[in-house]
Amino acid sequence: MSEEQNPSPQLPPKERPAKAVQVQVPGPQSSYWPFALALALVIALIGVITNLIVIGVGVVLAIAAIIGWGLEKR
Amino acid sequence: MATRTIVEAPGVARRRRLDETYIGEWLMTTDHKKIGVMYMLTGFFFFLAGGLEALLIRTQLAVPNGKVLSAEIYNQIFTMHGVTMIFLFVMPTLTGFGNFIVPLMIGARDMAFPRLNAFGYWVVLFAGLFLNSSFIFGAAPNGGWFNYAPLNELTTACGNAVMCTPGMNEDFWLLGILLLGISSIAGSLNFVVTILKMRAPGMTINRMPLFTWMTMVTAFLLLFALPSLTAASVLELLDRHLGTHFFQAQFGGDPLLWQHLFWSFGHPEVYILILPAFGMISEVLPVFSRKPIFGYTFIAWSGVAIGFLSFTVWAHHMFAVGLPPIAQAFFATSTTLIAIPTAVKIFNWIATVYGGKVSLKVPMLFALGFIAMFLIGGLDGAALAVVPFDYQVTDTYFVVSHLHYVLFGGTVFGIFAGFFYWFPKISGKLLDERLGQVQFWLMLIGVNLTFFSMHILGLLGMPRRIYTYPGDLGWNELNLLQTVGAYMLGIAIMVFFWNLTISLRSGEPAGNDPWDAYTLEWDTTSPPPHYNFPVVPTVRSRRPYYDKKNPDIADWKTATH
Repeated sequence: MSEEQNPSPQLPPKERPAKAVQVQVPGPQSSYWPFALALALVIALIGVITNLIVIGVGVVLAIAAIIGWGLEKR
Repeated sequence: MATRTIVEAPGVARRRRLDETYIGEWLMTTDHKKIGVMYMLTGFFFFLAGGLEALLIRTQLAVPNGKVLSAEIYNQIFTMHGVTMIFLFVMPTLTGFGNFIVPLMIGARDMAFPRLNAFGYWVVLFAGLFLNSSFIFGAAPNGGWFNYAPLNELTTACGNAVMCTPGMNEDFWLLGILLLGISSIAGSLNFVVTILKMRAPGMTINRMPLFTWMTMVTAFLLLFALPSLTAASVLELLDRHLGTHFFQAQFGGDPLLWQHLFWSFGHPEVYILILPAFGMISEVLPVFSRKPIFGYTFIAWSGVAIGFLSFTVWAHHMFAVGLPPIAQAFFATSTTLIAIPTAVKIFNWIATVYGGKVSLKVPMLFALGFIAMFLIGGLDGAALAVVPFDYQVTDTYFVVSHLHYVLFGGTVFGIFAGFFYWFPKISGKLLDERLGQVQFWLMLIGVNLTFFSMHILGLLGMPRRIYTYPGDLGWNELNLLQTVGAYMLGIAIMVFFWNLTISLRSGEPAGNDPWDAYTLEWDTTSPPPHYNFPVVPTVRSRRPYYDKKNPDIADWKTATH
């Protein structure tokens, strides 16, 4: 399912413009946000036994991960 | 179905996205099969860790006055052995099976919430690493896997009248358990929604495979049982760090509150650990007996009954604390009652095998071993429901024997039955049959050498959790025997990992359906494609793949369900 016209076949390969292709992938899209959120939660809880600042870092990262997760294109 | 935009620049090397690299593919995956494999790998990694801890325990106790471990290290090792085996081996491994198998069994293309699924896995991994990192700090949890108050306390009165743990040991336990609880809730929600909403057309509740049934019951148990553990852990953290006194008797708190909160999670937890294994056995036995399962409805609904009853028995762990007689009578009765649905399952399994064309392949050996070993553990449990007997053996090796017959003879045998059964689907390769048989017999002998004599040792009065014992109490020979059995189990597990390694490298190709099985997971390639099924199957009976292979004698032509 090409979104653009095919480039001229006479052009050498390295000068041919990039082509955007949409591929139907049957199944869910991969995402790094679950990993990021899990890591953020662990950091926040480590803060409980180490330092309040670490809790803060973990919470900020967790909020960022939740927002990233929510806004991710599916 | 996801749509991805990929920029193609012919002739110019496109920079690969993170999820196209090998590591990134696993790091970012939301595919239930990959997540299932990661759960299982993680579970088996921690199985090795927990097994090494068990061998350390048994080495210390092999002879009287053992000096392999100090008292403090011994406390940490036996605590982490329990925590690791329960929370980091059995639960993740069973979740891994559920992840890989359940969507395939019900004809779905993935779990309902794939990213939540991935999140649950990563939390388990990090929680496991977090808990075990406590060894680096010399502060591994040391209060036993149930972490009783006031042992878990950190109070100003510490060292005077109050027994407590001033170091970070218990904080590691509490935070690790909180993390694992988050993961379990995420996973359970996912299983419930997946099973209730994503079954293939025609797969009614009464046609669901029994492993799917038991996974669903387990998921509900987790959802209802975990809040009390989470609450207890949070209250304990408040006690330790913010000066509250929920569990401190000298300040008006109640240490028994911990036990009630813990065991109202802890006993359902026992069924959380065993019900999926029941489900695996219920899949393996009919295939290797060449018969449909006997008493499907009874097996399914006895699982539900066990689930309900498991919430009514928690205080049988607390008979010795001085409960009122009416409470003892209630919990003794409910504990005895739970033996009924459990026995219903065992009778139905035996009836499934009876009269069948039994094939003693390794999955079947482990399934039969499961029934025998679990039966011993279950009968021990019924004995422990008798209050006066419980008084005599509370906190002795009799209890250690009981729980290991249930969790090792039961759950671990079930896991190996399931693993040998489904490994061909997961990897496309067969595990070596002969090495599997060697492993089975070593494990069967090892389990009984190790754990059967613990009954006697318990009756002779050996308390659990002591780090050494004098040589004149008549316990020496039995302890040595148990250590020999434990090492035999260690060898069996090494045989398993050797089998796994050589089978993955050069195992016999399995084909799509090596066991001539009945359920939908076999109606796709081994390993399955990313989307599981090219066409979502339609189900007309409890054995849909059997129907497809045998259209003339399909179940739906005669069955009424």
